[in-house]
Amino acid sequence: METIVKLNTIKDKLIAEFESSKSSLFGDTTIREKALEAFSKQGIPGRKSEEYKYVNMELALKGDFAFSSTQKLSAKQLESTQFLNDAIVVVIENGKFNSEYSKTNSLPKGLQIVNISDAVSNDVFKKHYSKYANVNLDPFIAMNTALTSGGVFVHVAKSAVIEKPIHIVHVTAVSENTVLNSRNLIVVEENAQATIVESFQTVDSKAKSFNNALTEIVVEASAVVDHYKIQDENACLPDRQDFGHLISTTQSIQKKQSNFTTHTFTLSGLLVRNNLNMVLDDEFIESHLNGLYLTNGNQVVDNHTLVDHRKPNCNSNELYKGIIEDKSSATFNGKIYVRKDAQKTNAFQSNKNILLSDDGTINTKPQLEIYADDVKCSHGTSTGKLDEDKIFYLRARGLSEASAKKLLMHAFASEVVDTIKIDALREYVEAKISKRFE
Amino acid sequence: MANEILEEQISGEYKYGFVTDIEADNAPKGLNEDIIRFISKKKNEPEWMLEYRLKAFRYWQTLEEPHWAHVSYPKPNFQDIIYYSAPKPKVQLNSLDEVDPELLKTFEKLGISIEEQKRLSGVESRIAVDIVMDSVSVKTTFKETLSEKGIIFCSFGEAVQEHPELVKKYMGSVVPYTDNFYAALNSAVFTDGSFCYIPQGVRCPMELSTYFRINASGTGQFERTLIIADEDAYVSYLEGCTAPMRDENQLHAAVVEIVTHKNAEVKYSTVQNWYPGDKDGKGGIFNFVTKRGICLEDNSKISWTQVETGSAVTWKYPSVILKGDNSVGEFYSVAVTNNYQQADTGTKMMHLGKNTRSTIISKGISAGFSNNSYRGLVRISKGATNARNFSQCDSLLMGDKCGAHTFPYIEIKDKSGIVEHEATTSKIGEDQLFYCKSRGIDNEKAIGLIVNGYCKEVLNKLPMEFAVEAQKLLAVSLEGSVG
Repeated sequence: METIVKLNTIKDKLIAEFESSKSSLFGDTTIREKALEAFSKQGIPGRKSEEYKYVNMELALKGDFAFSSTQKLSAKQLESTQFLNDAIVVVIENGKFNSEYSKTNSLPKGLQIVNISDAVSNDVFKKHYSKYANVNLDPFIAMNTALTSGGVFVHVAKSAVIEKPIHIVHVTAVSENTVLNSRNLIVVEENAQATIVESFQTVDSKAKSFNNALTEIVVEASAVVDHYKIQDENACLPDRQDFGHLISTTQSIQKKQSNFTTHTFTLSGLLVRNNLNMVLDDEFIESHLNGLYLTNGNQVVDNHTLVDHRKPNCNSNELYKGIIEDKSSATFNGKIYVRKDAQKTNAFQSNKNILLSDDGTINTKPQLEIYADDVKCSHGTSTGKLDEDKIFYLRARGLSEASAKKLLMHAFASEVVDTIKIDALREYVEAKISKRFE
Repeated sequence: MANEILEEQISGEYKYGFVTDIEADNAPKGLNEDIIRFISKKKNEPEWMLEYRLKAFRYWQTLEEPHWAHVSYPKPNFQDIIYYSAPKPKVQLNSLDEVDPELLKTFEKLGISIEEQKRLSGVESRIAVDIVMDSVSVKTTFKETLSEKGIIFCSFGEAVQEHPELVKKYMGSVVPYTDNFYAALNSAVFTDGSFCYIPQGVRCPMELSTYFRINASGTGQFERTLIIADEDAYVSYLEGCTAPMRDENQLHAAVVEIVTHKNAEVKYSTVQNWYPGDKDGKGGIFNFVTKRGICLEDNSKISWTQVETGSAVTWKYPSVILKGDNSVGEFYSVAVTNNYQQADTGTKMMHLGKNTRSTIISKGISAGFSNNSYRGLVRISKGATNARNFSQCDSLLMGDKCGAHTFPYIEIKDKSGIVEHEATTSKIGEDQLFYCKSRGIDNEKAIGLIVNGYCKEVLNKLPMEFAVEAQKLLAVSLEGSVG
C-alpha cells in the first residue's frame, strides 16, 4: 500500500510541476497538455506492466525529486566527458542546452544547431516535432513531451555531407534529487549525411539524477545517418556504482532509400533503460541496430527495441550482445513488426549473452509480429557461458586462464564494437572494455 | 492462382460437424454454488471433493479474465453456459453391446471405431480408449487387460469413488485451482475426465487414449485429466477432440496434470480438432486449456506433442516443471490456423533441477485471416546447474491476410545454463514449389509434400496411429493454401 501512495505522489508532483511551470516552458502548450493527459492515464509503470516488468521504476522514482537544476558545470568537469578530439561538440547540461560550452559558432555549411527553445518558430521544427514519439505508447515519452525544458534542434540541409561527427554530450551534475527531461530533434534532409554521437554521463554524485532523455531522428529520402549512444553514467566516478538512472528513448523515422544505423553501448549506470523505436515508413530502406551492454555490480540494463516495417522492400538487421557479471541483470526485448503492406521485408534479429556470475540474471524476449506473407524474418538468441573448448584451446597454447577468458570476451564484444565507423570512438570503447576485463 | 486455391480451402467443410441425436441430461444454465452442488451430487462425490470445488469457485469469483494473449474474442457469458450435460441413458456399461447405437455411430463417424480396436486385440499396437462426451466419460475400453498389470485407467468420476487417496494426493498438485482464471473455473465445475495411474516398474503395453466430444448445444466442456507415472513407469497417452458445428461459441476449459516419479516417462499426444467456426468466423470452440506436467523426481521425462488444427480461439501452454535432477521436458507442436481462427499457444519449461534438459519445436502455419502466435517461457532458476534448452519456432504464412507471431520469454539466473532460441517466418519457398512442379508433381500435392516435410519433426513424435490421422488432418486443413 505504501508504494502506491508514494507512486501517486511522484505522479501528482509531476502534474503539479507542469501546472506551475506551464507558462515558462517553450513551444506549443497543446502538445504538452495532450502529453500530460497521456501521462496521467499511464502513470509510472509498476512491475505488473508487461513493458517494464524487469526494471523497477517505482524504486527508481522513490523519494523527492526536483524537475530542474541550476547547478553549473566547471570546465574541468566538462573536460572529463570529452573523448572525441575532432567533433562538433554540443553540451546538454542538466537537460538544457549550454551555448557557452558548445562549439556551435562556426558550423560547416548546411548544418544548423540551435537551442530547441529557439527553434519553435522554425517550419521544419514545427513539421516534425513530437510527430513520431507517441505519447500514448510509453509514459516516459509522455513525461518528456509534457515537461521537457531543453535540448537541441539539429538540422542538416539537403545534400549536405557533414564530415565531422556531431557529439551531443548529456552531462548531469545535480545537488538534489532531480528528474531531467531533455529533448532533441534531429532532421537530416534528402541526400544529406551526418554522424551523431550522444553520450550520457554524470559528473557529480551528491544526489540522485533520473535522466529521461528523448531524441527524435528524421531521416529523409536517400539520407545516411549514423547514430551512436554511449551510456557511461559513472565513467567520471568509477568508485560510485550506486547511482545513474537513465531512460533513453530514440525515435527514428525513415523515408525512401534512406540508411540509418544506430549503436547503443551501455557501459555503466545503475539503471539504464533504452527504448529504441524505428519506423521504416517507405520503400527500399535499410536499418541497422547494434547494441552492446556490459553489466556488473547491481546494474539493471533493459533494452527495448521496436522495428516497425510499414512498407515493402526494406531490410533491417539487429545485433545485441551482452556480458553480465556480479548481481547485475540485463534484459533484451526486441520486436520486429511487419505490417500487411510490407511485403518482401527482410528482418533479422540476434541477441547473444554471456552470464559470468552466479547471481546475474538475463531476460530475453525476441519477438516477431508478422502480418505479411512474402517476408524473410528470423530471430535467434543464445545465452551461455564462455566455451570451455575455446578456453582449453588457448590454454594449450600457453595462455593463462585469465587471459584466455579476457581474449574470448574481447572477441565476443568485438562483433559489435567493429561496427563503429569513427576510429576515435572505437578506440575509446575498446579501451573501456579492456579496462573492464582487466 | 493463390487466391483461387485459398478460396477453395476456405470453403472447405468441417467434417466432424454432425450432431448426435442422443438425449442428454442437462443441468440448468448458469453458474452458482447450487450448480456446483448439483454437479457434485450428480457425480455422487465425497464431501472433500465438493469442498475443493467450492473453494475453487469462491477463488474464481475474485479473478478477472486474462487479456494478455494475442487473441480477441467476445467475452464468454459464464452464466449462459450449461455446466453439466450427460448423454442419457446413463447406465453402467460393461460391453459395447450395451452402448447406445447412436453413440456407436458417433464414434464411427469420428473414425475411432471401437469395433476395430476390439478386433485388433491380439495385435501389438492396441489402444485403450476413454471417451468423454459432453461432460461425462461414457466408455473406457480394455479396462480389464490394463488392470491385470495394476494400471488404473478410468474416468475421473470413477477414480474419485474408487481411488480417493490417489486423487486427493495428486489433484491440484501441478495445477492448483489458484493457477489462473480458467483453471479455477475448471476446478469448480469439472464434470469428468480421465484418470490414469501406472504403478512402479510397469511399462504400459498399449497406448491410452481419450476422445473428447462436445455434443449438446449451449454446453461448456470442463474435463480434467490426471496422469501419474510411478517409479520406472512408462505410458503413452493420446487425446483427441471434436465438436459439432454450431453458430454459438462454446467454451472448453480443461486441465491436464501429469506427475512423473523417478525414472518414469509420460508421452502425451494431442490431436485437437474442435470445430473452428465457419468461414466467416462464426461459431467455433474457445479452447482455454491448462496443461502442465511435473518431473517430480530424478531422471524422469515428460513429452508433449500436439497437433492443433481446430478451435476458434486457442489459448494453451502445455508446460513442464523440471524439478528432479537430470529430468527432460519436450514440447513438439504443429498449430494450423485458417479462416478467422486465432491461436496463442506454446509452452513453459521451468528448470529447477540440475542437468535438466528441454527441447521446444514449434511449427505454426497460418492461412486465411487467422492469427497464430507462439508464446513460450524458458526459465532457468538459480541452482539449476548445467540446464540446457533448445527452442525452435518456425512460422509459415499462407496468404497476405494472416499473421504469425513469436513471443518467447527467456529468463536465466544460472551461469552454467545454455539456452538457444531461434525462430523464422517465411512463406513456402517458390524454388521448392518449382522443383516439385518441374518433376511433374502438381501444385496441390507439392504443397502437401512441403508442409508435411515442414512439420515432419513434430509428426514423427506422434504414435503411429495418430501420425496417420494428423497427416490427413493437415492435408485437409491446408491442401492448396498457397500458390
